[in-house]
Amino acid sequence: MRLPLHWPSIRGRARADAGPLMLVALVVSAVVLLAGATPPLVRSTSDDATREAVRNASDDAAVRVEADWPDDYGPTGGRMRAPKLAEDVAALGSLAEGDLDPGLRSALLPPVSTVSSISLMVTDGSVQRRLQLEYLLTTKGTPAVTWVAGREPQAATDDEFLEVPLNGRPWPVQVGLSEPEAAALGVGPGDRIPVQDERRNPYDVRVSGVFRPVDAGDPAWRLAPWVLNPAANRDGFGSTRFGGLLSPESLPDARLAFRSDQLRRAVRFDADPETLTWQSAQALAAEVATLKAGSAVSAARDTSLKWATQLDSVLRDLRDQIATATAQASVLLIGVLAVALLVVALAAELLTRRRAAALTTARQRGASLPALAAELVVESLAVTVPAALLGLGLTVLLVGSAALTWAVPFVLVALCAGPVFGTLAAARATRDRRTPANRSARRWARRTEVIRRFALDAAVVALALAALVALNQRGVEADLPAAAPALCAVAVALMLARLLPPGTRLVLRLALRSRSPLALFGAARAAATASRVLPVLALTTAIALGSFATTLYATTQQGLAEGAWQTTGADVRLNVSSEAASSTPEVAKKIAAAPGVRHAVAAQVTENARFIGDDTTVTARLIVVDTAAFRALLADTPLPGLPPIPSGSGDLVPALVRTGDGSLTPGMAFRLPRPAYKAINMTAAGAAPALGAGDDVVVVDAAAATAAGMVFEPNTVWATGPGAAQAARSSGAQVTARTDLLAERREAPLSSGLLRLSLVAAAILLVLGLLGFALAATASAPQRWETLARLRTLGLRRRDTRRVAVGELLPAAVLAALCGPALGALLGWLTLGPLALRRLTGQAVDPATVTPWWTIEAVTVVALAVTVVTVVAAESAVRRRRRLSEILRVGGQ
Amino acid sequence: MTGALLSVQGVHRTFGTGPSAVHALNDVSFEVEPGTMVALVGRSGSGKTTLLNVIGGLDRPDAGTVVVDGLDVTGLDEDGLSRLRRERVSYVFQTFGLIPVLSAAENVGVPLRLAKSDPAEREKRVALLLDLVGLADHAQQRPGELSGGQQQRVAIARALAASPRLLIADEPTGQLDAETGLAVMALLRGVVESEGVTAVVATHDPVMMALADRVIRIADGEVTC
Repeated sequence: MRLPLHWPSIRGRARADAGPLMLVALVVSAVVLLAGATPPLVRSTSDDATREAVRNASDDAAVRVEADWPDDYGPTGGRMRAPKLAEDVAALGSLAEGDLDPGLRSALLPPVSTVSSISLMVTDGSVQRRLQLEYLLTTKGTPAVTWVAGREPQAATDDEFLEVPLNGRPWPVQVGLSEPEAAALGVGPGDRIPVQDERRNPYDVRVSGVFRPVDAGDPAWRLAPWVLNPAANRDGFGSTRFGGLLSPESLPDARLAFRSDQLRRAVRFDADPETLTWQSAQALAAEVATLKAGSAVSAARDTSLKWATQLDSVLRDLRDQIATATAQASVLLIGVLAVALLVVALAAELLTRRRAAALTTARQRGASLPALAAELVVESLAVTVPAALLGLGLTVLLVGSAALTWAVPFVLVALCAGPVFGTLAAARATRDRRTPANRSARRWARRTEVIRRFALDAAVVALALAALVALNQRGVEADLPAAAPALCAVAVALMLARLLPPGTRLVLRLALRSRSPLALFGAARAAATASRVLPVLALTTAIALGSFATTLYATTQQGLAEGAWQTTGADVRLNVSSEAASSTPEVAKKIAAAPGVRHAVAAQVTENARFIGDDTTVTARLIVVDTAAFRALLADTPLPGLPPIPSGSGDLVPALVRTGDGSLTPGMAFRLPRPAYKAINMTAAGAAPALGAGDDVVVVDAAAATAAGMVFEPNTVWATGPGAAQAARSSGAQVTARTDLLAERREAPLSSGLLRLSLVAAAILLVLGLLGFALAATASAPQRWETLARLRTLGLRRRDTRRVAVGELLPAAVLAALCGPALGALLGWLTLGPLALRRLTGQAVDPATVTPWWTIEAVTVVALAVTVVTVVAAESAVRRRRRLSEILRVGGQ
Repeated sequence: MTGALLSVQGVHRTFGTGPSAVHALNDVSFEVEPGTMVALVGRSGSGKTTLLNVIGGLDRPDAGTVVVDGLDVTGLDEDGLSRLRRERVSYVFQTFGLIPVLSAAENVGVPLRLAKSDPAEREKRVALLLDLVGLADHAQQRPGELSGGQQQRVAIARALAASPRLLIADEPTGQLDAETGLAVMALLRGVVESEGVTAVVATHDPVMMALADRVIRIADGEVTC
């Protein structure tokens, strides 16, 4: 069947309504741009986040394999020298490389093999100096050096089959020293470095030569930087580590100089962040898990490969973060699309109102509904498709690619809205069914209408509730939960739209009692137009979702700040290596004495300490600290305070406890088992605050713990005050400054991307809401100005008409300004928990919802006020040019 | 000019310019005595509505003067015209123009509210006018609950509320059936007599012409008799 399209009508309508049609095209282009660009941007941000996470994880992301040495016992019970040991080390690298899955191998940099001795004390009687012997090997060989004095380390013997007795004199081993280290140690070629181990066993280490690295940036040096330059505090506060470089020739001597457990061989594969994408990282995580599952256990005393890496854990954390960020992006995008659809529907309604007469006339002249619908579809195609293509083109231009997942459904709805509204209007205008004359039939018709409307409202509310429940139960993995905020906003806005007519009638009753005619006319106009659902729905939903986006932004910002406090625990945190534990109190004292430092507390922090209760085992963070000093320090931070701990009785150590699953509660008795020592008995004396990124924590007083037999070896120092960071950095230990951490987290791709998207979404939603409001006002303008013209025939002054018009438009604006932000805050309260913001903010628990009320209200009120005044001023200016008689003759159009 | 309530002298009104210009009123002059009812008769497009608009200050003539109750309408500014419409001239339109959310009584009270009348006085006057137009029992009903004739009677009551000197009605029976139209015309005739108001009514209806004190015919923008 061929539909008789009347092209002059199509062209005429399009020309007459060029403005609204252009507006529709603009909205379609903008929304397609946003919907098309968001998924690729999320993908590229995820890729950036993957690379950054792997880059930041550094050592944790490296894949490391170790293998014990094979026995080197000779036929007479001594140890055999292995002259080709360097080849064995190279072979270990090749063996490890062959064990890797090709996919995993391609994501890793070439391996670096190392042989490292234990750290030896330099016994030259001056300051604390330690020496560690290193053999480094890349796939290109040992790192290139230039010998500026002496020569490369040589073998101690030419005997290929030498066997040395087990308890003989220390076996000599030659090492090379870098220029700075040789100068610092005051040794040169041929000198012996006096060293011994912790048991005071001497070692015969001789300097063969002094070298200068050809390329200090060689990746091999990165694994043992102390070979090039002395490294402070590696082996304890105040100590300096030096490194002696072994050569392939001197490596066999090092093997003989140390016991097997004093010289470790390992191969390290650093992850290559540049080759990683989020998609490849997911496959990589599975391959790493498989590799670790097939690895020999570290306790095994054989030469099998023992793989160790935290890369899978890094990628798992990253996956959670990306899932969170993606979900939040979906939530925001769905919100924008929902409001954009409502705005498109308002534009379609405006077009239909403007064309009602023409469409009715066409229908009365014999045009069929399918023909009218086809004409409207043709027009809609001519507007929507080019606009969508423009949006997609801009997306490709700006982002490089465009996603159609969200854009296509939106374009389809935008395409259909105008034709559907127009066809329904034409059908209604010319249908035979009239209002029944019979009163009971009219009542029945009204009730049917009410029931139909109630069923629709109930369906929307039920869908919103289902989405909310799904979001709370299943998270945001599926689409329906991601739509929960938008659906809830629409459902509540619908309820508010239903309440608006009785509300305006109430205001009208009050206005009737007032002496101001303008108030009465404004209220009367408002009551006459309050039954229009779409404008209230669009504006309130837009303001609510815009407030939600702003709440998401503010909550994330606040969560990041709190997360930085929780992770750091103070203005600055120092992690002291276990070798330096004895010097930690000294570090704390030194920092406390520095200018600008208010508090400094040393604590022993044990991550993943295992506690055993009556019928439960808990893994928690154990903090052993001077609780009085710690309480004073916490009081100097926004972190929750530390409640007092009662003094212990006997060997029962009172503890403050906090567990996410409530397995440790105040009043419970539990114990801390210790290998080879008696377990420490504890009693939960109170609730601990959240300290650190984890949710489970046990805090005990250092004095009580020591009295119960625990050795207090502090490894952490917390400090507060403006000078804390500087004082901590000067100590040379590993420092985490809260402000640095916060800046780093804020600038991380996922956090910064989400924050930007939240702001952009809030701005777009506000603009869409105001646009919808203006469209709705334009749609009702003819009736408004006809009424105002009639009131002018009764004596209303021209300037007063603007006030009456403002009065008509105010209820929807006031409703949106009052209820929109409140609804947005409610949505934040209901949905930010399941959205798991803590994964991005680095907090133990989800951040408390933060709604910047005054900012939202101020922006909303000012924007709405400006829009109302602008719309009325524009309408007034347009109609000012027309005579009152003309308005009365043709209506307010 | 003598004791005429309405004096129209040499009024011209042209719409458009050049060859397509339409001369809606061409040197129209006449006077109407106080307390009389004038039927303005003519074919569609003859200029009736334009003339009524010019008289009521809804439109301005290109030339000529219109004096209502001693006041030169053509020389008034916007505020002056508003005051004129609030105090001296009122309208009844073909399409009633009632506010749908207000009751009949509240609609009638609108001009009195604009005139800042005392509420008690207003209520008394509204009740009186509704009684006058026979709608005392329908005071609390909204326009949507009233028939077309009843709505037009409410419109007439509203037009009389502020005690105007001149009532202008533009085809007040245009949307009514014959019987209802006759009742409305009879009402107009009655209020002219009872309220002492002067009325100019544009109509096609011969019955209305019979009820009028005087008939002014207009054709192609010119008064013919």
